[in-house]
Amino acid sequence: MKKALPFIAALVLLLVPLGVSNQFFLHVGITVLMWTSLGVAWNLLGGYAGQISFGHAAFFGAGAYTTMILFLRFGLAPWYGMALGGIVGALISIPIGLICFRLRGPYFSLSTLAVAEIIRLVALNWESLTNGPVGLLITSLPHVSFLGITVNWERKEPFFIIIALLALCSMLAAYLFVRARPGSYLAAIREDEDAAEAIGINTTRAKVNVLALSAFLTGVAGGFYGLYFRYVDPDTVFLISLSIEMVFIAVVGGLRTIGGPVVGAVFLATIAELFRDRLASGHLIFYGLFMMLVIRYLPEGIWGRVRRALNMRR
Amino acid sequence: MALLEVSGLTRDFGGLRAVSDLSFNVEAGEILGLIGPNGAGKTTVFNLITGFLRPTSGDIRLDGRCISGLKPHAVVRSGIARTFQIVKPFPNLSVRENVSLAALVRANDRGKADAEAVRTLTQVGLGDRLDVPASDLTLSGQKRMEMARALATGPRLLLLDEPLAGLNLHETEDACGLIQKIRDSGITVVLVEHVMKAIMRISDRVVVIRQGAKIADGPPAEVVNDPGVITAYFGKRGA
Repeated sequence: MKKALPFIAALVLLLVPLGVSNQFFLHVGITVLMWTSLGVAWNLLGGYAGQISFGHAAFFGAGAYTTMILFLRFGLAPWYGMALGGIVGALISIPIGLICFRLRGPYFSLSTLAVAEIIRLVALNWESLTNGPVGLLITSLPHVSFLGITVNWERKEPFFIIIALLALCSMLAAYLFVRARPGSYLAAIREDEDAAEAIGINTTRAKVNVLALSAFLTGVAGGFYGLYFRYVDPDTVFLISLSIEMVFIAVVGGLRTIGGPVVGAVFLATIAELFRDRLASGHLIFYGLFMMLVIRYLPEGIWGRVRRALNMRR
Repeated sequence: MALLEVSGLTRDFGGLRAVSDLSFNVEAGEILGLIGPNGAGKTTVFNLITGFLRPTSGDIRLDGRCISGLKPHAVVRSGIARTFQIVKPFPNLSVRENVSLAALVRANDRGKADAEAVRTLTQVGLGDRLDVPASDLTLSGQKRMEMARALATGPRLLLLDEPLAGLNLHETEDACGLIQKIRDSGITVVLVEHVMKAIMRISDRVVVIRQGAKIADGPPAEVVNDPGVITAYFGKRGA
C-alpha cells in the first residue's frame, strides 16, 4: 500500500486538468510543478552531494534560450527543444564543474554565482544569437494533435500535463540516481571529501556527473519556461534570484528528500508569492529570513520533519 | 624488489623544503615505523605517497609501477590505503555504511560490500557497534573504524598516520595488537607515530627523518642508539 502511494499521487496529478478548468488555479499548479522540477534538480547537487550552487539560473537560462532559438531560427518544435535545452545545460555544466569543483565549500558556491553572472552577461551582449536585452518572443506555437484532438495552446491544460510529466520524471530520475552506486558516493563526498578520495572514489568525476544531471533537469525546466511564457530575456531567465529560489525550495522543503521540493515549491508559490506582491523586491529579505529560521529550527526542512514525525508514530 | 620504493622524493611549499631528497624502501610483510620530531615532514610524506600532494620531484613506485602524480582515488585502487592523523569519518553515516562504502567502490555489489564491512569491522573489534552513527564512537573507536575502512579497500600496503595518538594505555595495547594482526594477515604496514615505546616494540624497521631528510634507517634497537637520532630528539649533550 505504502509503495503504491507515489503512483496514485502521480496519477491523480495527471488527471487534475480533467476536473479543474479554472485557468488561474492551473497556472498556480504549473508554477508549483516547474519549481518542483527545479528544486529536485538543485537538491541532487546541493542536498545529496552537499555542493551548494548559487548559479543554477545559468542552466535554466541556457535551456530556455536553446528552446527558443531552435524554434525561432530552425522551426524545431519546442518539445524537442526542451530536451535539447537540457542537453545544452548539461554540456555547459561540464566545463563549469571542472573549474568550480577545484574549490570547496563556500568558495565553490561563490564561484558558481560568478559563473552564472558571466553567462548572463554573455547572453545580454551576444545580440546576434540572443537578441540581447530585447529578448526572444514566440508569437504562436505550432499545431499539434494528440489522440486526434488538436491541442489548444491558448489554454493551460496541455502545459499542466507537460510540466506534471516533467516534474514526475525528474523525481523518478533523482530517486533512481541517489539509490544507485553513484548516489552512494555522493553521501561520502558530502560527509568528507578527503575520506571519499581515500576510499577510492573519483570525487571530481562523481561531482561533475551529478552536476550534469542536475543541469540537464534544470535546462529542461528552462525549456518549459520558454514554451509556457513564450518570452525570454536575460533578466528573467538568468537572474540570481532564480538561483536563490531553487536553493530556497530545496532547503525549506527538505534537503536530501525527493518529496521535499514539492512542499518547498507550494510554499514558494503561495506564501512567498504574497510577500512578493506586497513588498516588491523586498521579498528577497523575506526569503533570507525564512531560510535562516528553517536552517535554525527545521534543519531537515518541512518535508523531512513531517516524514520523521510519521516514522516515529509508527 | 621492495613493495614500495621511494627515491629522491622532494616537496617544496613556497620557500620551505618540507621533504628533501628522501629515499627509502618498504619490504613486503614488514611493519615500518616512520618517526621524527614535530614538523619533520612525516605526514607530508604520507600525503605525497597517497596522492593528496604532488611531489616537486622524485619517484614513488609500488611493485615497480610509478604511482607519483596519481590522484588519491587512483592510488587507493593501485593498492595503498591510508588513515588520517585527524580522523575523517563520514560522521552522519553508520559505522557499517562508512566501511561498506569503501568496499562498494571495489566490490560493485552491495551484498558483498556489506559482508566485507562486517568482516573488517569484526577484525578491528567493532563487530558489536555496526549500526551506531560514526560520530558516536570514541576517538579510539573512530581510529579503528578508519582502519577497517582502509582495509575494506583491499590494500597491499596500509599507511597509518598516528594510529596511537590520543589513546590511553589500554587502548594503545589493543591497537598495537591489531596492527600486528593486520600485518600477519599479509598486509604491509607503514606507520607514523610519536609514541616511541610502542613503535620501537612493534616495528621491524624504523626510518627517522628530520627536516624532511632521512637521518637513520634500521632496526629499532640500532636506531635508538644512533648519535644523529639522539641529537635530533634531545639536542647535543652539554649544548
